[in-house]
Amino acid sequence: MVLKIFFPQCCNRADSGLLVGRWITGHDSAVVLAVIHYPFIPSQVKQYVQQMQAQSRVELSVLGSWSLPKEGQEGMESFLRDLSTIFPQERWLQISRQMGKMGFTCQVLDRDQNGKVVQRAVKKEKKEVKDDNEGEEEQEEKEEEEEKVIFIHYEQRKVMLSELHRIENGIPAPKADPPSELSQMFETVANSQPLFFMDKYDDGPLKSTHWQSEGREASIIVELLKQASVPLCLLISWMLSIWTWICNLRIFSLYPVRFLSSKLSTCVQLSYRTEHMRALCSPKAAAGHTQFMRKANILVSFLVDVALGVLLMSWLYRDDHITALANTLVPAADHVAKELEELLQWLMGAPAGLKMNRALDQVLGRFFLYHIHLWISYIHLMSPFIEGILWYGGLSACLGLTFALSLLSDMVALLTFHIYCFYVYGARLYCLKIYGLSSLWRLFRGKKWNVLRQRVDSCSYDLDQLFIGTLLFTVLLFLLPTTALYYLVFTLLRLVVVLFQGVIHLSVDFINSFPLFAVGLRICRSYRLADGVKFRVLCDEPGTCLHLLMEINPLKCSTVVQTYRTPTYSCYPKDSWAALIKKLFVGELIYPWKHKSTKTE
Amino acid sequence: MGPDSVPGPAVSWRKVLWERQPFPDNYVDQRFLEELRRNEGIRQYRYWAVVKEAGFVGQQLSCVAIFITLWLYMEQGLLSPEMLLWTSLISGLLGYGLHQVLISQEESSCEPRTRLADLQSATIFLSFTFGFSPVLKTLTESVSTDTVYAMSAVMLLAHLVSFPYAQPSPRGSLSINAALFASVCLASRLPGALHTFAMLSCALLVFALWPCLLQKIREKAPSHFTGVCVGVCIIGVGGLGSQSPGGAILLALALGSVTLLCPLLLVRLQRHKDNIHGPWDEAEIHEDLSRFIH
Repeated sequence: MVLKIFFPQCCNRADSGLLVGRWITGHDSAVVLAVIHYPFIPSQVKQYVQQMQAQSRVELSVLGSWSLPKEGQEGMESFLRDLSTIFPQERWLQISRQMGKMGFTCQVLDRDQNGKVVQRAVKKEKKEVKDDNEGEEEQEEKEEEEEKVIFIHYEQRKVMLSELHRIENGIPAPKADPPSELSQMFETVANSQPLFFMDKYDDGPLKSTHWQSEGREASIIVELLKQASVPLCLLISWMLSIWTWICNLRIFSLYPVRFLSSKLSTCVQLSYRTEHMRALCSPKAAAGHTQFMRKANILVSFLVDVALGVLLMSWLYRDDHITALANTLVPAADHVAKELEELLQWLMGAPAGLKMNRALDQVLGRFFLYHIHLWISYIHLMSPFIEGILWYGGLSACLGLTFALSLLSDMVALLTFHIYCFYVYGARLYCLKIYGLSSLWRLFRGKKWNVLRQRVDSCSYDLDQLFIGTLLFTVLLFLLPTTALYYLVFTLLRLVVVLFQGVIHLSVDFINSFPLFAVGLRICRSYRLADGVKFRVLCDEPGTCLHLLMEINPLKCSTVVQTYRTPTYSCYPKDSWAALIKKLFVGELIYPWKHKSTKTE
Repeated sequence: MGPDSVPGPAVSWRKVLWERQPFPDNYVDQRFLEELRRNEGIRQYRYWAVVKEAGFVGQQLSCVAIFITLWLYMEQGLLSPEMLLWTSLISGLLGYGLHQVLISQEESSCEPRTRLADLQSATIFLSFTFGFSPVLKTLTESVSTDTVYAMSAVMLLAHLVSFPYAQPSPRGSLSINAALFASVCLASRLPGALHTFAMLSCALLVFALWPCLLQKIREKAPSHFTGVCVGVCIIGVGGLGSQSPGGAILLALALGSVTLLCPLLLVRLQRHKDNIHGPWDEAEIHEDLSRFIH
């Protein structure tokens, strides 16, 4: 059985004293947290340990003794061994080190049933269990025992600040599994912060060695910020609650308003940011590592967003850019309309040599031309107000770049509304035709769709049904190329607009959800996000124990991004490619970007 | 005889495999294949009976030829649509009268269609066709002539192939629909909307209503049926001959081969039949299951 002892690097040169730490249950290992130096009063040590245990809720105990004899301290050995009687433990470690040598030596004393301190029994090849051995004679046994103890050195500050992620196959593992040895060790060190507050310059009854902080922050500005943050959070929460109350007024729950506000991406982004701010400004401190990272990510991405928005604003309101934009908008809309008219005239002729039915062609073409005429009149009506609208709309960029982008996406949607209308008309007509054709084709063959059994069955039709059915089938079949062509053209136009909107939405989503803080942490302080550990052999001399150095393995950047993404209404394509093409073929209306609602925690 | 010449012991061999017998598994005795029956249920055809039945096929072929003749006349302007309409109407009424006479002769208890339902159907047909004829006329405007002819030919062929010659009572949907599709394609090539309407009415008469009447004649007066078939064939050949002699010759050849040659082949080739039946066939249920219905 191998005993693993986690030893802090800061205690390598500590003076002799007592080891305080924790035995990890279920595994054969111990974590050493601090060394309390001689001279001490045992009752005070016990009291201190109990106080620390109550504060930090870690099962602290005195693990054993540590001796690094300096000049004039040779008699410590027996004194430290006798300490094992004062502190009743199951196992007592006696670790000693000589100045100038790298390796430690360790003895483990066990208690047997009689309460006497015994040496750890060693299983040799003969498999004899020796109890009742006193400490003296076992030079050879001591050597065998020393082989079975491994010292793992760790840097206390890094392990204290780090968070061990349990990732299995790329998915964060649930915490309900029995925690492994490493995660227990990390938790122990992280939770023992009260233990580390005792400074070496304090004037207390005990002197200890452990990780020391460089000194608490004494900067005035930081203190002021900390003091001011709580009332600020309260103020923002109060404002947010008023805003939410306004939004939930009855007048806004009417159907048209609610429908519009769920479709306009500006409103969606607004509600989303409200959620974020509410999560950020809750007066409770973050419970746990995940909450803290979530809040930090939200704050950083919000600040970056606002900074980019202010940058955009400064560009926009300088040098009359808004007027220039407004002056190009109306001619651009006119140009688009003219292009569409030319397209329709082309379709009404004989496009690409295809055989169109002249009558239907003319009807559809004139219908769409009239729509375009209406649209152009509308644009010309609005043209005096466009500059004003742009000016006020640009102000929204101060809330963040995401708002400006959402506003742009909404304006594009409004300006290309006629394309959307055409697409819907064409798609509906085409869908109806395809549906009718498929049903009449079944009639042509003498079959029918059995709704109950969801299959095609044979059916004997009446003569008049057959007659009318065949006539209609012929009519629909010969009118198919015309309708299909119009449908194809308008679907392509609509897809272009959808693509553009999709790009905007993706970038908004990216700004919303990318965990900047986590990535920054991974780059600057990579030990705080730990994926695992790696060991390096420090000292492997035959006469002493094995010494390993534990180094923290940071998470991969991709795992960081995946784990700490803020859940958003991520726009992802709702259908796979095959389903999309099938829908296009049949004529169903496609809305390719689906808005997922935010996940509630 | 078994595959290996082992003389059988005193125990007789039974044709079972679930008992251990002293014979090998692939042993068979002299009763091998005694249950084989050859050409069971074969029918003896008589030539002239088959010719009479094949006349029905020839008759249908001639119907198609008559329709095409009428279309050719209309296209060349030799037949006016009003004349065709009136002729169709009159022959329709005559046919209807004959049909009713033949129906009244039978006493079956199944629900007859009332005259009102028939009138309703006729009204629906006529009004629908009349209403749609302008649309139907412009359907194939932009399709080239060759395509139209090819489509019509394929559809008429499908009509002939899928016609329910043996049992017309489950109505053959595909045959009627194919014939109507072909007639719409052809009718849309005519110069006016009235032409289209007339052609479609004629098509309805020839392809949808005439087989019903023929079926009734076949049931009620089989002797007259043969005469009718022969008459139709002659009219078909004659009509086509007035437009194109080559077509008439082809039609006559086709009729001859279908009506006279193919039955001869059928009868002659019967003697080469060699079907084997035995206990290995799929089971057929010969029981009358209607006793479970009552």
